[in-house]
Amino acid sequence: MERIQPKEQISSYIIQSQEEEIKRISEELHEGVGQNLYSILTGLQYVKSGVGEPNMKNYLEEMEQLIEKTIQEIRLLSVELHPPVLTTLGLLPAVKSYLTLYTSTFGILVDLESTGEEKVLPEKNSIAVFRVCQEALTNIVKYADTSNVKMSFIWTEDKLEITIIDFGNGFQLEEYTDDNYASGIAAMKERMLLTGGKCLISSKIGEGTSIELSLPL
Amino acid sequence: MTELRELQEVIDVCSQLKAVACCDFVGLAIQNKVGPDVRWHYAIGNLNDKYKRITVRFGKGIAGKIISSGSPMMMTDFPHDILGKMTDYPIALAEKLVSSYAVPIFFNHVPKGVLLVGKREKYSFSEEEQEKVKASALSLEQILKKHLL
Repeated sequence: MERIQPKEQISSYIIQSQEEEIKRISEELHEGVGQNLYSILTGLQYVKSGVGEPNMKNYLEEMEQLIEKTIQEIRLLSVELHPPVLTTLGLLPAVKSYLTLYTSTFGILVDLESTGEEKVLPEKNSIAVFRVCQEALTNIVKYADTSNVKMSFIWTEDKLEITIIDFGNGFQLEEYTDDNYASGIAAMKERMLLTGGKCLISSKIGEGTSIELSLPL
Repeated sequence: MTELRELQEVIDVCSQLKAVACCDFVGLAIQNKVGPDVRWHYAIGNLNDKYKRITVRFGKGIAGKIISSGSPMMMTDFPHDILGKMTDYPIALAEKLVSSYAVPIFFNHVPKGVLLVGKREKYSFSEEEQEKVKASALSLEQILKKHLL
């Protein structure tokens, strides 16, 4: 007889499968497509060095710039999907790297502070917390109408606490019952629960929203 | 590069455009002299200074798509009439633009910048308004030529 899996186990499996696929696509973009474009760029630069005709040289320069822009976009897309530093250096460097991209994409400044000794997290938990932070920051872009965000990491012996405060519009949780925003919030809470952690959201109109994540270490 | 926002001629063209096109926002994005980055160098009618920190991503959002395609683009009811995700349109989000019309700015026949007009309400820019934006972009091409090339 077919054994029914607990709901949490199924959710966890689906999320993990999706994350593995995202990571594969990200690596393929970075290592495959990106590297091939880089080879094309090098070849084009070599061809350009042998061309004397000014019009043709200009044309090759434009092609070179177009490939450079494409390489840059592929790199950003890959980092957005799955930052390689998340696997190699851990959660905090990955968040720092994402925040640099976040500010240059949306113009929102994020003041990040980390206190206590940084610990190595299991990759599954790092990804979950990273995704929740990403979702929180994306919601700020869409709904908060703010230019400044404060983010803090507090590492203790037995837990990691992350707080994200946006000083924006704020909202009333009860008003968001059916739309994507509510689903996004539910997904954030669910992902933290699956890691054994918690996600608390509080908001006040005119004062902003605060998201508190806590993860046992 | 001389800061474009300090050039009186640029300020004049953009201010006149804002008045004749009856829009809330005018923004000018130009590719940096070195490297492929495109940034918003000047804006009027802005609600905040986020535009100064935004780097336009190639092929993304209204400005990125214009730089990659070289063709004008209009949005009439953001975020309802867009291709891709709403976060692909940072200037619309930062400035709460609901409608916008933008045209490329060419140097040596290559799109190197974007002139964008926007309103904070649903709107479809008329042919006449579109022509005004195109004419302003041509004026800016002439003004910026001597500063960028």
